[in-house]
Amino acid sequence: MASGTDNAPQARPVSAKVVVSGGFGVGKTTFVSAVSEIAPLRTEAKMTSAASEVDDGTLVASKTSTTVAMDFGKITVDQGLVLYVFGTPGQDRFGFMWNDITAGALGALILVDTRRLDECFNAIDFFEQRNVPFIIGLNQFDGAPHHDTEDIREALDLPKYVPIIRTDARSSDGALDTLVQLLSHILTTLAQNATPVAAAAPAPVAAPEPQRAAPVVTNDMRSAAMSALAAERGQ
Amino acid sequence: MGNDDDTELMDSGSFMRPYLLTGGRTRSDAGELAVEAMVAVSAGAPMPSQKELAQIYDLCQTPNSIAEISAKCSMPLGVARVLVADLWGDGTLEVLETTRSDDIAIVRRLLDGIRNR
Repeated sequence: MASGTDNAPQARPVSAKVVVSGGFGVGKTTFVSAVSEIAPLRTEAKMTSAASEVDDGTLVASKTSTTVAMDFGKITVDQGLVLYVFGTPGQDRFGFMWNDITAGALGALILVDTRRLDECFNAIDFFEQRNVPFIIGLNQFDGAPHHDTEDIREALDLPKYVPIIRTDARSSDGALDTLVQLLSHILTTLAQNATPVAAAAPAPVAAPEPQRAAPVVTNDMRSAAMSALAAERGQ
Repeated sequence: MGNDDDTELMDSGSFMRPYLLTGGRTRSDAGELAVEAMVAVSAGAPMPSQKELAQIYDLCQTPNSIAEISAKCSMPLGVARVLVADLWGDGTLEVLETTRSDDIAIVRRLLDGIRNR
Protein backbone atom coordinates (compact mmCIF):
# COMPACT_ATOMS: atom_id res chain seq x y z
CA MET A 1 0.00 0.00 0.00
CA ALA A 2 1.25 3.42 -0.85
CA SER A 3 -0.03 5.18 2.20
CA GLY A 4 -2.43 5.20 5.04
CA THR A 5 -1.51 2.14 7.05
CA ASP A 6 -0.74 4.34 10.01
CA ASN A 7 -3.10 4.29 12.98
CA ALA A 8 -5.34 1.76 11.26
CA PRO A 9 -5.91 -1.10 13.64
CA GLN A 10 -6.89 -4.18 11.74
CA ALA A 11 -9.99 -4.91 13.78
CA ARG A 12 -11.68 -1.56 13.22
CA PRO A 13 -11.71 -0.53 9.59
CA VAL A 14 -13.35 2.71 8.49
CA SER A 15 -15.87 2.39 5.67
CA ALA A 16 -16.60 4.72 2.78
CA LYS A 17 -19.05 4.51 -0.08
CA VAL A 18 -19.44 5.44 -3.72
CA VAL A 19 -22.51 4.91 -5.86
CA VAL A 20 -22.93 3.54 -9.38
CA SER A 21 -26.05 4.81 -11.06
CA GLY A 22 -27.68 5.12 -14.45
CA GLY A 23 -30.60 3.73 -16.36
CA PHE A 24 -31.94 0.21 -16.41
CA GLY A 25 -29.59 -2.33 -17.96
CA VAL A 26 -26.73 0.11 -18.45
CA GLY A 27 -24.16 -2.10 -16.75
CA LYS A 28 -24.26 -1.14 -13.08
CA THR A 29 -24.22 -4.70 -11.82
CA THR A 30 -21.49 -5.61 -14.28
CA PHE A 31 -19.43 -2.67 -13.07
CA VAL A 32 -19.92 -3.59 -9.41
CA SER A 33 -18.81 -7.16 -10.21
CA ALA A 34 -15.75 -5.93 -12.06
CA VAL A 35 -14.41 -3.81 -9.18
CA SER A 36 -15.51 -5.89 -6.22
CA GLU A 37 -13.06 -8.22 -4.48
CA ILE A 38 -15.94 -10.35 -3.28
CA ALA A 39 -18.77 -11.78 -5.34
CA PRO A 40 -21.24 -8.91 -5.50
CA LEU A 41 -23.84 -9.16 -2.83
CA ARG A 42 -27.50 -8.53 -3.30
CA THR A 43 -29.80 -7.48 -0.55
CA GLU A 44 -33.44 -8.43 -0.37
CA ALA A 45 -33.02 -11.15 -2.93
CA LYS A 46 -33.19 -14.28 -0.87
CA MET A 47 -36.56 -14.02 0.73
CA THR A 48 -37.64 -17.32 -0.77
CA SER A 49 -35.00 -19.39 0.95
CA ALA A 50 -35.63 -17.61 4.23
CA ALA A 51 -39.29 -18.41 3.96
CA SER A 52 -38.75 -22.08 3.30
CA GLU A 53 -37.49 -22.48 6.83
CA VAL A 54 -40.49 -20.82 8.36
CA ASP A 55 -42.72 -23.40 9.92
CA ASP A 56 -42.97 -22.67 13.59
CA GLY A 57 -46.11 -20.60 13.43
CA THR A 58 -44.53 -17.49 14.85
CA LEU A 59 -43.89 -16.18 11.39
CA VAL A 60 -46.62 -16.08 8.81
CA ALA A 61 -45.70 -17.21 5.34
CA SER A 62 -47.53 -15.33 2.67
CA LYS A 63 -47.53 -14.66 -1.02
CA THR A 64 -44.77 -12.30 -1.90
CA SER A 65 -45.07 -8.90 -3.43
CA THR A 66 -42.21 -7.58 -5.52
CA THR A 67 -38.97 -6.97 -3.75
CA VAL A 68 -36.29 -4.49 -4.72
CA ALA A 69 -32.82 -5.87 -5.13
CA MET A 70 -29.69 -3.84 -4.73
CA ASP A 71 -26.20 -4.95 -5.68
CA PHE A 72 -23.04 -3.87 -4.00
CA GLY A 73 -19.39 -4.78 -3.90
CA LYS A 74 -16.47 -4.19 -1.60
CA ILE A 75 -12.84 -3.19 -1.95
CA THR A 76 -10.50 -3.50 1.03
CA VAL A 77 -8.14 -0.64 0.32
CA ASP A 78 -5.90 -1.31 3.28
CA GLN A 79 -6.30 -2.94 6.65
CA GLY A 80 -8.06 0.08 8.02
CA LEU A 81 -10.15 1.23 5.08
CA VAL A 82 -12.98 -0.40 3.14
CA LEU A 83 -14.76 1.06 0.13
CA TYR A 84 -18.28 -0.10 -0.71
CA VAL A 85 -19.63 0.34 -4.21
CA PHE A 86 -23.41 0.46 -4.31
CA GLY A 87 -25.54 0.19 -7.41
CA THR A 88 -28.80 2.14 -7.40
CA PRO A 89 -31.92 0.22 -8.31
CA GLY A 90 -32.23 0.95 -12.00
CA GLN A 91 -35.87 1.82 -12.23
CA ASP A 92 -37.32 5.16 -11.39
CA ARG A 93 -40.03 3.79 -9.20
CA PHE A 94 -37.41 2.62 -6.75
CA GLY A 95 -36.15 6.14 -6.36
CA PHE A 96 -37.14 6.02 -2.72
CA MET A 97 -34.13 3.80 -2.12
CA TRP A 98 -31.74 6.23 -3.74
CA ASN A 99 -31.63 8.61 -0.78
CA ASP A 100 -30.75 5.76 1.50
CA ILE A 101 -28.01 4.47 -0.77
CA THR A 102 -26.63 7.91 -1.54
CA ALA A 103 -26.59 9.43 1.96
CA GLY A 104 -22.97 9.93 2.94
CA ALA A 105 -21.58 8.80 -0.43
CA LEU A 106 -18.31 10.37 -1.52
CA GLY A 107 -19.45 10.54 -5.11
CA ALA A 108 -21.17 8.76 -7.96
CA LEU A 109 -20.46 7.22 -11.32
CA ILE A 110 -23.36 7.61 -13.74
CA LEU A 111 -23.15 4.98 -16.44
CA VAL A 112 -24.58 5.95 -19.80
CA ASP A 113 -25.56 3.90 -22.81
CA THR A 114 -25.17 6.28 -25.75
CA ARG A 115 -28.06 4.55 -27.51
CA ARG A 116 -30.38 5.50 -24.65
CA LEU A 117 -29.02 8.77 -23.44
CA ASP A 118 -32.29 9.92 -21.87
CA GLU A 119 -32.21 7.14 -19.31
CA CYS A 120 -29.50 8.87 -17.31
CA PHE A 121 -31.35 12.18 -16.93
CA ASN A 122 -32.91 11.27 -13.62
CA ALA A 123 -29.59 10.19 -12.17
CA ILE A 124 -27.90 13.41 -13.28
CA ASP A 125 -30.68 15.51 -11.74
CA PHE A 126 -30.55 13.49 -8.55
CA PHE A 127 -26.83 13.94 -7.92
CA GLU A 128 -26.75 17.54 -9.13
CA GLN A 129 -29.49 18.50 -6.70
CA ARG A 130 -27.67 16.91 -3.80
CA ASN A 131 -24.27 18.34 -4.69
CA VAL A 132 -22.80 14.86 -4.90
CA PRO A 133 -19.71 14.92 -7.15
CA PHE A 134 -20.19 12.64 -10.14
CA ILE A 135 -18.61 11.60 -13.40
CA ILE A 136 -20.23 10.22 -16.53
CA GLY A 137 -19.02 6.84 -17.75
CA LEU A 138 -19.94 6.01 -21.32
CA ASN A 139 -20.24 2.26 -21.22
CA GLN A 140 -18.96 0.71 -24.42
CA PHE A 141 -21.68 -1.38 -25.94
CA ASP A 142 -21.01 -3.31 -29.11
CA GLY A 143 -22.68 -1.64 -32.04
CA ALA A 144 -23.44 1.59 -30.22
CA PRO A 145 -22.88 4.73 -32.27
CA HIS A 146 -19.69 6.57 -31.45
CA HIS A 147 -20.28 10.12 -30.31
CA ASP A 148 -17.74 12.72 -29.49
CA THR A 149 -17.75 13.25 -25.72
CA GLU A 150 -18.29 16.98 -26.20
CA ASP A 151 -21.44 16.29 -28.21
CA ILE A 152 -22.65 14.17 -25.35
CA ARG A 153 -21.73 16.89 -22.88
CA GLU A 154 -23.89 19.25 -24.88
CA ALA A 155 -26.76 16.79 -25.12
CA LEU A 156 -26.67 16.22 -21.37
CA ASP A 157 -26.05 19.93 -20.75
CA LEU A 158 -23.25 19.20 -18.35
CA PRO A 159 -20.74 21.81 -17.23
CA LYS A 160 -17.11 21.39 -18.22
CA TYR A 161 -16.01 20.33 -14.76
CA VAL A 162 -17.97 17.09 -14.95
CA PRO A 163 -15.66 14.47 -16.47
CA ILE A 164 -17.10 12.34 -19.26
CA ILE A 165 -15.05 9.23 -19.82
CA ARG A 166 -15.33 6.02 -21.77
CA THR A 167 -15.42 2.88 -19.72
CA ASP A 168 -15.84 -0.84 -20.15
CA ALA A 169 -17.80 -2.13 -17.20
CA ARG A 170 -16.97 -5.70 -18.19
CA SER A 171 -13.25 -5.41 -17.63
CA SER A 172 -11.82 -5.31 -14.15
CA ASP A 173 -8.94 -3.03 -15.19
CA GLY A 174 -11.25 -0.71 -17.08
CA ALA A 175 -13.70 -0.51 -14.21
CA LEU A 176 -10.98 0.09 -11.61
CA ASP A 177 -9.54 2.81 -13.81
CA THR A 178 -12.98 4.41 -13.96
CA LEU A 179 -13.16 4.24 -10.18
CA VAL A 180 -9.79 5.98 -9.97
CA GLN A 181 -11.10 8.74 -12.23
CA LEU A 182 -14.16 9.13 -10.03
CA LEU A 183 -12.00 9.40 -6.90
CA SER A 184 -9.74 11.93 -8.64
CA HIS A 185 -12.75 14.04 -9.49
CA ILE A 186 -14.06 13.81 -5.91
CA LEU A 187 -10.65 14.88 -4.63
CA THR A 188 -10.54 17.84 -7.02
CA THR A 189 -14.05 18.88 -6.03
CA LEU A 190 -13.31 18.64 -2.31
CA ALA A 191 -10.06 20.53 -2.68
CA GLN A 192 -11.84 23.34 -4.50
CA ASN A 193 -14.64 23.45 -1.97
CA ALA A 194 -12.10 23.58 0.83
CA THR A 195 -10.86 26.93 -0.40
CA PRO A 196 -12.34 29.97 1.43
CA VAL A 197 -14.70 30.79 -1.46
CA ALA A 198 -16.75 27.72 -0.76
CA ALA A 199 -18.61 28.98 2.27
CA ALA A 200 -21.93 29.73 0.58
CA ALA A 201 -22.74 27.05 -1.95
CA PRO A 202 -20.56 23.99 -2.36
CA ALA A 203 -20.63 24.10 -6.14
CA PRO A 204 -17.43 22.97 -7.83
CA VAL A 205 -15.47 25.84 -9.28
CA ALA A 206 -13.92 25.28 -12.65
CA ALA A 207 -15.90 26.80 -15.47
CA PRO A 208 -15.84 30.54 -16.08
CA GLU A 209 -19.62 30.73 -16.42
CA PRO A 210 -21.70 31.81 -13.40
CA GLN A 211 -22.05 29.33 -10.59
CA ARG A 212 -25.22 27.36 -10.64
CA ALA A 213 -26.76 27.68 -7.23
CA ALA A 214 -29.39 25.17 -8.23
CA PRO A 215 -29.60 22.95 -11.28
CA VAL A 216 -31.38 24.90 -13.97
CA VAL A 217 -31.32 22.11 -16.52
CA THR A 218 -34.56 20.24 -16.80
CA ASN A 219 -35.26 16.92 -18.39
CA ASP A 220 -37.25 18.74 -21.05
CA MET A 221 -34.19 20.73 -21.99
CA ARG A 222 -32.11 17.57 -22.07
CA SER A 223 -34.69 15.84 -24.24
CA ALA A 224 -34.60 18.69 -26.69
CA ALA A 225 -30.82 18.56 -26.82
CA MET A 226 -30.90 14.84 -27.31
CA SER A 227 -33.39 15.11 -30.13
CA ALA A 228 -31.03 17.53 -31.78
CA LEU A 229 -28.20 15.06 -31.38
CA ALA A 230 -30.32 12.25 -32.78
CA ALA A 231 -31.31 14.40 -35.75
CA GLU A 232 -27.69 15.18 -36.40
CA ARG A 233 -26.84 11.51 -36.22
CA GLY A 234 -29.62 10.67 -38.66
CA GLN A 235 -28.15 12.82 -41.41
CA MET B 1 -35.42 -4.24 -21.63
CA GLY B 2 -33.65 -7.25 -23.03
CA ASN B 3 -30.71 -6.79 -20.74
CA ASP B 4 -30.33 -9.25 -17.89
CA ASP B 5 -27.94 -6.97 -16.10
CA ASP B 6 -30.46 -5.66 -13.64
CA THR B 7 -32.73 -8.25 -12.20
CA GLU B 8 -34.62 -5.78 -10.12
CA LEU B 9 -37.74 -7.62 -9.30
CA MET B 10 -37.96 -10.81 -7.41
CA ASP B 11 -41.20 -12.65 -7.70
CA SER B 12 -40.95 -15.67 -5.53
CA GLY B 13 -43.25 -18.17 -3.96
CA SER B 14 -43.73 -17.24 -0.39
CA PHE B 15 -41.91 -15.45 2.35
CA MET B 16 -42.35 -14.32 5.88
CA ARG B 17 -43.51 -10.81 6.51
CA PRO B 18 -40.06 -9.36 7.12
CA TYR B 19 -40.97 -6.83 9.75
CA LEU B 20 -42.35 -9.53 12.04
CA LEU B 21 -38.73 -9.92 13.09
CA THR B 22 -38.63 -6.35 14.25
CA GLY B 23 -42.05 -6.30 15.86
CA GLY B 24 -43.31 -4.14 13.02
CA ARG B 25 -40.73 -1.46 13.60
CA THR B 26 -38.97 0.16 10.70
CA ARG B 27 -36.63 2.09 12.98
CA SER B 28 -34.74 1.20 16.09
CA ASP B 29 -34.79 3.40 19.17
CA ALA B 30 -31.00 3.19 19.03
CA GLY B 31 -30.92 5.31 15.85
CA GLU B 32 -30.40 5.15 12.10
CA LEU B 33 -27.36 3.43 10.66
CA ALA B 34 -25.94 3.93 7.18
CA VAL B 35 -26.02 0.95 4.79
CA GLU B 36 -22.22 0.98 4.68
CA ALA B 37 -21.78 1.28 8.45
CA MET B 38 -19.69 -1.59 9.75
CA VAL B 39 -20.44 -3.26 13.04
CA ALA B 40 -18.62 -5.87 15.12
CA VAL B 41 -19.40 -7.83 18.26
CA SER B 42 -18.30 -6.02 21.42
CA ALA B 43 -15.68 -7.78 23.50
CA GLY B 44 -17.29 -10.22 25.89
CA ALA B 45 -20.85 -9.65 24.67
CA PRO B 46 -23.03 -12.77 25.08
CA MET B 47 -24.74 -14.37 22.10
CA PRO B 48 -28.41 -13.34 21.79
CA SER B 49 -30.93 -16.17 21.94
CA GLN B 50 -33.20 -15.18 19.02
CA LYS B 51 -32.12 -17.02 15.90
CA GLU B 52 -31.76 -14.03 13.60
CA LEU B 53 -29.86 -12.04 16.19
CA ALA B 54 -27.54 -14.97 16.84
CA GLN B 55 -26.92 -15.17 13.10
CA ILE B 56 -25.85 -11.52 13.07
CA TYR B 57 -23.72 -12.12 16.17
CA ASP B 58 -21.90 -15.00 14.47
CA LEU B 59 -21.28 -13.02 11.29
CA CYS B 60 -20.05 -9.96 13.16
CA GLN B 61 -17.18 -11.73 14.86
CA THR B 62 -15.41 -9.88 12.05
CA PRO B 63 -16.63 -6.42 10.98
CA ASN B 64 -19.47 -6.41 8.45
CA SER B 65 -21.58 -3.61 7.04
CA ILE B 66 -25.36 -3.42 7.38
CA ALA B 67 -25.62 -4.17 3.67
CA GLU B 68 -23.43 -7.27 4.01
CA ILE B 69 -25.40 -8.48 7.00
CA SER B 70 -28.60 -8.06 4.99
CA ALA B 71 -27.22 -10.04 2.06
CA LYS B 72 -25.43 -12.76 4.02
CA CYS B 73 -28.24 -13.32 6.51
CA SER B 74 -30.89 -13.17 3.77
CA MET B 75 -32.90 -10.45 5.43
CA PRO B 76 -34.19 -7.24 3.87
CA LEU B 77 -32.02 -4.21 4.34
CA GLY B 78 -34.59 -2.43 6.49
CA VAL B 79 -34.90 -5.40 8.81
CA ALA B 80 -31.15 -5.88 9.12
CA ARG B 81 -30.80 -2.21 9.96
CA VAL B 82 -33.34 -2.33 12.77
CA LEU B 83 -31.98 -5.56 14.28
CA VAL B 84 -28.39 -4.32 14.12
CA ALA B 85 -29.38 -1.02 15.69
CA ASP B 86 -31.09 -2.93 18.50
CA LEU B 87 -27.94 -4.99 19.08
CA TRP B 88 -25.95 -1.78 19.08
CA GLY B 89 -28.38 -0.26 21.55
CA ASP B 90 -27.97 -3.10 24.04
CA GLY B 91 -24.20 -3.14 23.69
CA THR B 92 -23.86 -6.44 21.82
CA LEU B 93 -22.46 -4.72 18.72
CA GLU B 94 -20.16 -1.78 18.27
CA VAL B 95 -20.53 0.54 15.32
CA LEU B 96 -17.29 1.36 13.54
CA GLU B 97 -16.54 4.68 11.97
CA THR B 98 -17.89 5.70 8.56
CA THR B 99 -16.20 8.45 6.61
CA ARG B 100 -17.53 11.94 6.17
CA SER B 101 -18.27 12.62 2.52
CA ASP B 102 -15.89 15.60 2.59
CA ASP B 103 -12.91 13.82 4.12
CA ILE B 104 -10.08 14.69 1.73
CA ALA B 105 -7.52 12.49 3.51
CA ILE B 106 -9.74 9.43 3.11
CA VAL B 107 -10.37 10.11 -0.59
CA ARG B 108 -6.63 10.48 -1.14
CA ARG B 109 -6.01 7.20 0.65
CA LEU B 110 -8.69 5.45 -1.44
CA LEU B 111 -7.20 6.88 -4.60
CA ASP B 112 -3.68 5.76 -3.76
CA GLY B 113 -4.82 2.35 -2.63
CA ILE B 114 -6.93 1.61 -5.70
CA ARG B 115 -4.46 3.12 -8.14
CA ASN B 116 -1.76 0.79 -6.83
CA ARG B 117 -3.78 -2.37 -7.28
